[in-house]
Amino acid sequence: MRERLRALVPSTASVLLAIAVCFLAVVLTRGLGTALDAFAAMGAGALGDWGRAFDTGDMGAVLRPLGEASNKAALLTLTGLSVAVAFRVGLFNIGAQGQMMVGALAAAVVGAGVSWPAVLHLPAALAAAAVAGAAWASVAAELRLRRGVHEVISTIMLNWVAVSLVENWLVTGPMRAAASGDNSVSGTAQVLDSAVLPRLVGDVSRLNLGIVLSLGAGVATWLFFSKAVRGYEWRCVGLSPEAARAAGIDPRRATREAMLLSGALAGLAGAVLVLGTELKYPSTLAASYGFDGIAMALIGQGHPLGVVASSVLFGALRAGGTRMQLFGVHKSFPELIQGLALLLVAAKLVWSRLALWLLPERSGERP
Amino acid sequence: MTEVLWALWNSVLDAAPALVFAAVGATLSERAGVVNVGVEGMMRAGAFVAAVASLVMPTPLGVVVGMGAGAAVAGVHGWLSIRLKSDQVVSGMALNLVMLALGSFLLEAVFSSPSSTPPITQLPRWWGHSPLTWLAFALPFVVHLAVQRTPWGLRLRAVGEKPQAAAVMGVSVSRLRMGAVLLSGALAGLGGAALSTSTLDRFEHHMPSGLGFMAVAAMVFGRWTPLGAAGAAVFFAFGHALRVGLASSAPGLLEVVPQGVLLALPYVLTLLVLALQGQKGGAPAALGKPYDPELR
Repeated sequence: MRERLRALVPSTASVLLAIAVCFLAVVLTRGLGTALDAFAAMGAGALGDWGRAFDTGDMGAVLRPLGEASNKAALLTLTGLSVAVAFRVGLFNIGAQGQMMVGALAAAVVGAGVSWPAVLHLPAALAAAAVAGAAWASVAAELRLRRGVHEVISTIMLNWVAVSLVENWLVTGPMRAAASGDNSVSGTAQVLDSAVLPRLVGDVSRLNLGIVLSLGAGVATWLFFSKAVRGYEWRCVGLSPEAARAAGIDPRRATREAMLLSGALAGLAGAVLVLGTELKYPSTLAASYGFDGIAMALIGQGHPLGVVASSVLFGALRAGGTRMQLFGVHKSFPELIQGLALLLVAAKLVWSRLALWLLPERSGERP
Repeated sequence: MTEVLWALWNSVLDAAPALVFAAVGATLSERAGVVNVGVEGMMRAGAFVAAVASLVMPTPLGVVVGMGAGAAVAGVHGWLSIRLKSDQVVSGMALNLVMLALGSFLLEAVFSSPSSTPPITQLPRWWGHSPLTWLAFALPFVVHLAVQRTPWGLRLRAVGEKPQAAAVMGVSVSRLRMGAVLLSGALAGLGGAALSTSTLDRFEHHMPSGLGFMAVAAMVFGRWTPLGAAGAAVFFAFGHALRVGLASSAPGLLEVVPQGVLLALPYVLTLLVLALQGQKGGAPAALGKPYDPELR
């Protein structure tokens, strides 16, 4: 137990320190009063304006921000899980961004292209996104397995190939929706209602099934790694491919399968974005959730539940971030907190010493 | 025809320096064994700080300050990955995320603008181009000679291939790696500064819009050598110029070969080269591994 608590120290301390430093940055540039107001606005944008909800009985003041927060948390969770799954077999998937874009495009195409009942259409669109993401990731997996190309390099390249092909060609060219009348449209055709992720509390908030889906994926991934034989095998490969091979586990198969799952999760993030909020592939996605997934995976210490926790936190912060604009703080402020937290988490050595100091080893404890 | 070629040539000369500096810089860090995927963030720091500094001092000095900013970001990367033995890819990506958000934050906080800093005096033009363009011609050769022909270069390569052996010969692995990382950051900063002081006359919020990653691609494409990286950078810049040039001179052709396909080309080519070469494609043996003196 003590050891598990100790594992929480680096991330918790990093996030708190990052928030403190960023708060200080606002104080230095805008003054203490504005900083407090800006952070209060971020809080209201993240968790809902409960005061107003009680005063006026307008539940929207709470449900709307919570909806935005959970939508962002859902995307972060899925891309974070994507990176974390690859980590478990010792792969660094920088390519969640590209896999997400390809997935988003697949979801948009299936969502708008076929007309099926919702029970079939929505799962089909989600599956298409997962398959597309997995296919995109498999390029990196095969390059690694067959040609020894490091996945960090190949996935960086694949990200830019995806951006170029999807956003600078397909979505603005051949797959662009036909203009209706005088209205010029950008992006692909609108997704049909039967493929849209259902809203959970009506039109008052954009809260949708995406969050349920991604939390489910988080729990499933956790169970997979802690209970399933295959999950155990993957973990072995991540710890030591040689030892795994000696134990009769095929590291190549584990690498291939883990990369496919990783890509599928990133692809699903694209689907949740398109089928949940965008409702089409816009001319540019303008969302870096794939890169953010790296931060989520590492701040969550690569543990599926850790990923969920950090995604919920940063999803909420980012939903609130848009409201800081009113106080002269750029809306990407939560991303600054997130980047700084990741940077601090990276300084592992410092934290493991701090953790030992806070929770010293007892004499009877095994190392 | 000659006119088109001339325009193309000029366009390459304007687009290439930023990429060349960053790509050549990246080879230095990686040849010493430290992965540098943080080029994008270092370029952003250089671009921003150079533009801001040039508001209060002559632009050439501002460029130098921008280089310092790139080196400072690299210093954090070096401290994390060399001293604290953190994962080098994580550290680089984290710096990218921080710099991306920090640039936007400072633009808003200092200049109350979401898009750009106020305009500055651009660098002067020598024979029609920024001095940095001409520097970009010379630098790859200087770095090549330094890496291949000087004792420092030999040590640098040794530290990237077999640090334990270099240490036995009396080389301080950490210090040499740190120096290489700082230089790499300064060059990335120079590349960023080229964007905000030569290509444009201000820092814009999207800078360097992926050029840092393209520089990493150029480095890999050039097999981790300064000349190869610079050549690849010029080649990629040519692709860029071709796209821009085609859009104005032969828009019909762009319908046959879509922009996006041309944009993807440098990355696809890099992937192809890696796939054909197999294995590590010329990467230093100790790349990405923290130095452990007890290993053999």
